[in-house]
Amino acid sequence: MNPLLEQFLSEARDFLQGIGEKLMQLEKAPSDTELMTELFRFVHTLKGNSGLFDFPEMTRVLHAGEDLLDAVRHGQVSYSQDLADRLLDAMDFVGMLCDEIELTGTIGANYAVHSAGLTESLQQLNSRVKDQANDHFDPAANLEENSGTQAVESGNIIFKAPPEALSDIPESLRMAAYNLTRSGSPLHWLVYSPAEECFFQGEDPFFQARQTPELLWGSIVSREPWPKLADMDAYRCVLEFHILSSAPRSTLLEYFRYVPDQIKIDQLSPLSVIIPAGDPNGGPIYEDFVSDALELLQANDTQGLIRAAQTMLELSSPDLWLSSALRWLLLVLKLNSDNKPVLTAIIESLLSLKPSDWIGLQVHHHPNELAPAANHSLEPDTVQGIDPVSDLLAPAKTNALLTLVATQREILMLPITEPWQIGRMKAVVATLSGCLVTTNAMDQLPELELATEASIAKGITTPLLNWLDNLFYDQSDKTSHHVKTSPDLEPKTPPVEPEITVNSDDTNSQATEALDGDIKYGRRAEDVTVGAKSLKVDQAKIDRLMNLIGEMVVSKNALPYLAGRAETVFGVRDLSREIKAQYAVINRIAEEMQDAIMQVRMMPVSFVFQRFPRLVRDTTRKLAKEVNLVLEGEDTEADKNIIESLGDPLVHIVRNSLDHGFESPDVRRAAGKPAAGTLIIRANQESDRVIIEIVDDGKGIDPEIVKRKAYEKGILDETTLERISDQDAVNLIFAPGFSTAEVISDLSGRGVGMDVVRTAVEKVNGSIALESEKGKGTRIRISLPLSMAVTNVMIIESDGHLLGIPMDSVVETVRVTRSVVRTIKQSLAIVLRGRIVPLKSINTLLGITAQPKLNADDEFAILVVRLGDESVGLLVDNFRETVDIILKPMTGLLGNISAYSGSALMGDGSVLLVLNIKELLQ
Amino acid sequence: MTIEYTKNQAIFKDVVRVDEAEGLLEWLQKKSAAKIDLSACTHLHSANLQVLMAAKTNVTAWPIDAEFADWLKLALVNH
Repeated sequence: MNPLLEQFLSEARDFLQGIGEKLMQLEKAPSDTELMTELFRFVHTLKGNSGLFDFPEMTRVLHAGEDLLDAVRHGQVSYSQDLADRLLDAMDFVGMLCDEIELTGTIGANYAVHSAGLTESLQQLNSRVKDQANDHFDPAANLEENSGTQAVESGNIIFKAPPEALSDIPESLRMAAYNLTRSGSPLHWLVYSPAEECFFQGEDPFFQARQTPELLWGSIVSREPWPKLADMDAYRCVLEFHILSSAPRSTLLEYFRYVPDQIKIDQLSPLSVIIPAGDPNGGPIYEDFVSDALELLQANDTQGLIRAAQTMLELSSPDLWLSSALRWLLLVLKLNSDNKPVLTAIIESLLSLKPSDWIGLQVHHHPNELAPAANHSLEPDTVQGIDPVSDLLAPAKTNALLTLVATQREILMLPITEPWQIGRMKAVVATLSGCLVTTNAMDQLPELELATEASIAKGITTPLLNWLDNLFYDQSDKTSHHVKTSPDLEPKTPPVEPEITVNSDDTNSQATEALDGDIKYGRRAEDVTVGAKSLKVDQAKIDRLMNLIGEMVVSKNALPYLAGRAETVFGVRDLSREIKAQYAVINRIAEEMQDAIMQVRMMPVSFVFQRFPRLVRDTTRKLAKEVNLVLEGEDTEADKNIIESLGDPLVHIVRNSLDHGFESPDVRRAAGKPAAGTLIIRANQESDRVIIEIVDDGKGIDPEIVKRKAYEKGILDETTLERISDQDAVNLIFAPGFSTAEVISDLSGRGVGMDVVRTAVEKVNGSIALESEKGKGTRIRISLPLSMAVTNVMIIESDGHLLGIPMDSVVETVRVTRSVVRTIKQSLAIVLRGRIVPLKSINTLLGITAQPKLNADDEFAILVVRLGDESVGLLVDNFRETVDIILKPMTGLLGNISAYSGSALMGDGSVLLVLNIKELLQ
Repeated sequence: MTIEYTKNQAIFKDVVRVDEAEGLLEWLQKKSAAKIDLSACTHLHSANLQVLMAAKTNVTAWPIDAEFADWLKLALVNH
């Protein structure tokens, strides 16, 4: 996997996390525009990043999400739970794709359907609300603004008056374009006005324009008069691009999707490119030719007309207006010879030497009216809403077409019950697309394809029917009108000549060559070198550092031994002192280093906490409960391993709490509690421990039920059952074997036992405790070490053995004379600063028969350790130094000896056993 | 540098990037009768293009790429 993709994936996860969080926050404050903007920015950036790679499934979903959020941001769509649900689904999908990419490097094709489904669900929300807005507010303004997407959706393509600039296009190019339309391509006139500050966003509009799909022609103009060169600002973009393209609208919209507000796309009627131009040569003097030509046309003598036109063309200078018109006449004759209105119009334009008014022609189809209409300009307002199917179609043909369409519609009305019937639908689609091509309405093809895809995906014909009704039956009045007014024209077979001239082919291939070719993006060096303040480092590298510092701590500990040997074995006292001095320096540095590496590994608990808002939201909605989640102390830090080990146990606990701790709103109200429960997850640091508390105000745990279940399970015997306190009883849920689904349907129910939770916590030297009051709620307290790599232990002596005791539990060391030790019944105790501290002999605890040693002053050595909330004094033989060790847990056969928490290697090569005080004293 | 300035001529090469536009504008402000040679140019950032359009410069050689040359001719000749 390349580094760029790796970075993308890691960033994408961060973004997804951020998006989820923002959505959660928005749920509480739906009108917070700042949050909304931030959320939009996340989705926008993520979409942009995904565009760097070939993951269309991902980009498509993100794009739809971005559009939707943009609409929300601008107040066109209001924020709703439904919207949040769909967006969260979409983001989950993107997260899944990220995993897939990480595993396989690509996205499997089977995700395309999901992607399309999610995209549609997002778009639906967007368009539905938009439609509503159109109905209620200002349809005109909205229509204009959204014409890009709306036209595609509704199928109402508007033929605008052809832009003046069309006549600037060389005739050969326009002829090529006309040719293309005959073979099914639409013609689009695109005006691209980049933002003034676009250069600062790294855009190059000219490059963008040059790469336009299916580019036929383009020009660049200035939006304002050029200033004096001295006053010019080279970096304020004033350019505007006019582009003629034969790509489908959807392709163009996709290509310019990053600047949808800067482009305007109009569909052109194929006829609009027929603009004869040239030298008028003294004015119109071709009456004879015109009348001859019209006669030939009336007589259907196409060949004769072609010959006449060719002869005329040969006799005239090619620069004349006449010649240009003749060339068009010949082209139309060749491609579309029975389109009489068009041919007539071209011939008659020779009388005035003015280009035919194609718009007028399209509105007034009637052949008898064609002559005047061709030469007089009509109100451009009447142009809109031209029926694409009846575009210059002979009426009889229209009739046939309508019959054909009606039949297809009937077929579509039949229900689809068997898979093979999808094939029937496909046949209908084939017929319909044939109709569209024949009737010169190729621009409808993309919509037909969309409807077809939708129909096939859903297995119903409704999308197709809708499309059909939209296109044909809204305008059926108008079409039948044509049938009535011109009944005398003969039906003819529609000629379709999908011929593309060599000329246009050339233009295309040139364009594509330029696209794929040698154009590189010029990027400024300073764009890239914006320094990142934080580093992302592979965890393995940190772990290695951690191991190294661990080894260093151990080997550093060898120096004091060396100093001791220098003095006792070799008798060099000075050297011994110097070694000790050096050791002090190395020790200080090593400690700082260790601390620094610890800091690197520290992570805030928010890493674990951030998943809870979503979890709580989803679970409560599923359970129809109301719970407010309160997170506290999210910035409390602990070692990465500790934090990560916390994740699963916490999820179990929270789930249990939601599932079984909280009552339903009705029950809560009946119990006099607020309908919405409160779940508090709190983290804070207590000396070198991190304390996590999960507090709910649910119904609590009934100790009686737990006791009974424990007894039934054989965890408790009868005597204990009588004696056990309620507090101890509720903690029994952590006992192994206690949790199977049927036992505690009122506590857990997922088969995930609390003993699993306890094991996970204890694995990282943590402890877990539970308090619960029936009817009031439950409090679970997890205590974890800040770090687990290096342990500080105190070494003690006992009957000649060296043992380690973790400094965490050591309170103080005292020496007391024998006379101070009192005997209370069988037990020893001392009074230390007014408190009674019970004494235990470490020898007795370890099963060593020797008595505790006294020193020369007849004093006992007592190590006071903490055990829960109490202090206990341990009678030991002697105290030694404290050392940093890397504690290795006992494994294998020794793993069962709970009195020891592990062993460590000392600087002199000996092994130190570290006591587990808690186990030892209980 | 992808624009090479001689006494009265600016020769554009390869892809002329956005950061060249300022230098080009300054140079054109000083030289009223400047000539531009685009024959070795394959792309021109929009900023450079609008400077050339505003200066109504005299282009002596067009790019080899015909499609690219068409764009530029339309933009630069009609003024």
